[in-house]
Amino acid sequence: MPGRIHVVDDDASFRTAIERRLKLAGYQVATYTSAQQLLDCPPDESEPACILLDVQIPGLSGPELQGRLNELGSILPIVFLSGHADTPTTVRTIKAGAEDFLTKPVESEQLLGAIERALARHSTVRGERQRLEEMRALVAALTPRERQVFSLVVRGRLNKQIAHELGTTERTIKAHRQQVMEKMKVQSLAELVKLAERLGLLG
Amino acid sequence: MIRIISLEALIIGLVAWLVPACVSAQEMRPESVLVLDQSDLRGPFYYQLWSGLRAAIEAPAHARVTVYGENLDLTRFGGTAYEESLKRHLKEKYRDMPIGIVVAIGPATLEHVLRWRAELWPGIPIVFAMLDETDLTKVGRPADVTGVITRNTLADAVKGARAVVAGLDTVALVGDAWDRQVLFSHWDDEIVTATSGLKVIDLVGQKMSDIRKQVAQLPERSVIVYTALFSDGEGTFYPPATALGMIAEKANGPIVVGAEALLAPGGIGGYVLVGSEIGAEAANVALRILDGERPESIPPVVSAAKPMFNWLQMQRWNVSESSLPEGSEIRFRQPTFLERYRWQSMAIAAALLVQAGLIMFLLHERHMRRNAEIESRMRMTELAHVNRQATTGELSSSIAHELNQPLGSILTNAETAEIILKSDHPDIGEIREILADIKRDDQRAGEVIRRLRAFLKRTPFETRDIDLNEVMNEAFKFMSVQATARNVALYLQTAPGALRIKGDPIQLQQVVLNLVVNSMDAMAAIPYGRTVIGRTERNGGNTVEISISDSGPGIPPDKLAQVFDPFYTTKDQGMGIGLSIARTIILAHKGQIWAENQNGGGAAFHFTLPLAA
Repeated sequence: MPGRIHVVDDDASFRTAIERRLKLAGYQVATYTSAQQLLDCPPDESEPACILLDVQIPGLSGPELQGRLNELGSILPIVFLSGHADTPTTVRTIKAGAEDFLTKPVESEQLLGAIERALARHSTVRGERQRLEEMRALVAALTPRERQVFSLVVRGRLNKQIAHELGTTERTIKAHRQQVMEKMKVQSLAELVKLAERLGLLG
Repeated sequence: MIRIISLEALIIGLVAWLVPACVSAQEMRPESVLVLDQSDLRGPFYYQLWSGLRAAIEAPAHARVTVYGENLDLTRFGGTAYEESLKRHLKEKYRDMPIGIVVAIGPATLEHVLRWRAELWPGIPIVFAMLDETDLTKVGRPADVTGVITRNTLADAVKGARAVVAGLDTVALVGDAWDRQVLFSHWDDEIVTATSGLKVIDLVGQKMSDIRKQVAQLPERSVIVYTALFSDGEGTFYPPATALGMIAEKANGPIVVGAEALLAPGGIGGYVLVGSEIGAEAANVALRILDGERPESIPPVVSAAKPMFNWLQMQRWNVSESSLPEGSEIRFRQPTFLERYRWQSMAIAAALLVQAGLIMFLLHERHMRRNAEIESRMRMTELAHVNRQATTGELSSSIAHELNQPLGSILTNAETAEIILKSDHPDIGEIREILADIKRDDQRAGEVIRRLRAFLKRTPFETRDIDLNEVMNEAFKFMSVQATARNVALYLQTAPGALRIKGDPIQLQQVVLNLVVNSMDAMAAIPYGRTVIGRTERNGGNTVEISISDSGPGIPPDKLAQVFDPFYTTKDQGMGIGLSIARTIILAHKGQIWAENQNGGGAAFHFTLPLAA
């Protein structure tokens, strides 16, 4: 899977070696000498990409950068590369959503595997997010009345109950409901409920 | 007529009465002594003899005895007329003076006394002195005559000469003609026997001017044997002591003499007669007679010459005391410096001794202290080494990181190169680049190992010129991995420029590591905000101050002084040597170290080091 790998490492020699290797494997590579440099020019999240992050970098450390990116809502998967196996740091970063935690020296096979998985996840997450965006766009396209009907329908209310609640006729509700199904591009009520759940509208 | 008769009868009676009285007077002698001396009193020998005699007679026990003295001066004067006048003079002078004993000094005097005796001192005992055995045989042994015989031989004089000149070769005889001598006249007969095997230069009877010339050019290993010289042979008379002084001035060898009185004017000594002793012995004989002993029952007393030497002359002629005859008496000994300044010398010696002792003590002290310093420095080096080994645990993550960094690059590069080489048209330029990178990374890894070994090596304490900022940078770099793992923010603010000091970089690094590790340990319990800040600052122009501060709980105020004590620890697994070693190292660098609590919380450790001039 092609993609862009963002390499953050203060060690110039390692950056060069990794860049060389990744390019040979067919990836595009962007290198950063510090966490701050990456924050200054945030990577484009729309293309397939992942971050190869050194734990031990001067200034903002790898795990700290991870925290910042999470706060910023980045979905770029992070593969950590550490100079040494350090259990607390590993646990901390994995808990915070790291894709993998590798220890230098790392064999290409292992590294490329991790990168491949990261890219795959990125594309999955990116696809999901895209679908979610689309669904949100669909929801946004509903009229206020349709939104009301939608939210009550997915909560399992009958047309009659909804009509009563909104102070209108069951027939009108039925038409709205039809309209919602159409706009949300779903065939069944089950599909509609699932969609609502994914958008976090049930709760 | 009758009156005349009666007067005559009276006289006869008186005489008849007086005769037994005279006899009894012989038994009860008058307590007076008339001393007749052959010489005049100018020379020291006679003077001593006279004093010895006088002193013995006038001793408190015999204070009643009267002494009369006359100098007959027979060495210079003689002839019938002179003798007659002398006799007349004595007769008139002592007409009314009862004399108990006549002491005759010198053979010529005795001769005269014996001649005058019947007329002047009938029945009065005579005590003689300064006669030798030969003289005595000449006079025989008349009744009521006894005294002191002097015994001195030329053989003894030669014996004395051999004592003062080793390998004696020549003897020069100096003195007046033998027949004019009083004490030495009998030596004339001895010359042949006494000087056998020696060369003899006979200057006897020569003029003073000739003698002075001769004694100045005697051959080597010569001794002058001086008897007595009474005149210069040209009409001037003087005592023998004066003559000896004149000869001694010119002599080129030691002068052996026969009388104690001749030691002082320049004689080296020999077997000498002692004037005062002869006088005292004569006096004793006289007193015994006065006390009632009969002269016949007192045999002549012998006064022999005895070995006696002049210390000053011995020094002049380089004569050692050990070569002198046994029992020799040494006169005029100059007290040595030590004898003269006995107390002062002892005080100085004591002071020197005390001083030397003190110096020895101080030297010993200094030696001990030096040893102790070396010992303590060795101990510190060893302990520091142990401490560094313990610190390695703390540093292992950082070491692993530093090693894995280049190893990672090498692995990746090697794999890349493999892939490139497998392609149909390998890019040789890139391969070359990769190999260069591998080589550089390999060297980097080697450098890490070298630095670690240097840190762990047991090296003796040695100072050199170093930049303290560099030491701090390296130490903080060492700790950075550990700090990340323990979620501690590590900051270092160094003073601009290089901080040149003289020190041992490994040990100073160890101080910084110990302080940083100590700070990180202190903050283990706080949940967040763990920070360690290192700072280097110039402190005026002479010193540099380093501080390591943390955001931990601080040090209890009553423990601030104790934290540097060995084995003081608050940690479960600490040995309590880290800070104590830090202090030892800083003190060895002539610096100071202390701990304090910061106003805003947290502890701060400071140390100062002198900047290199």
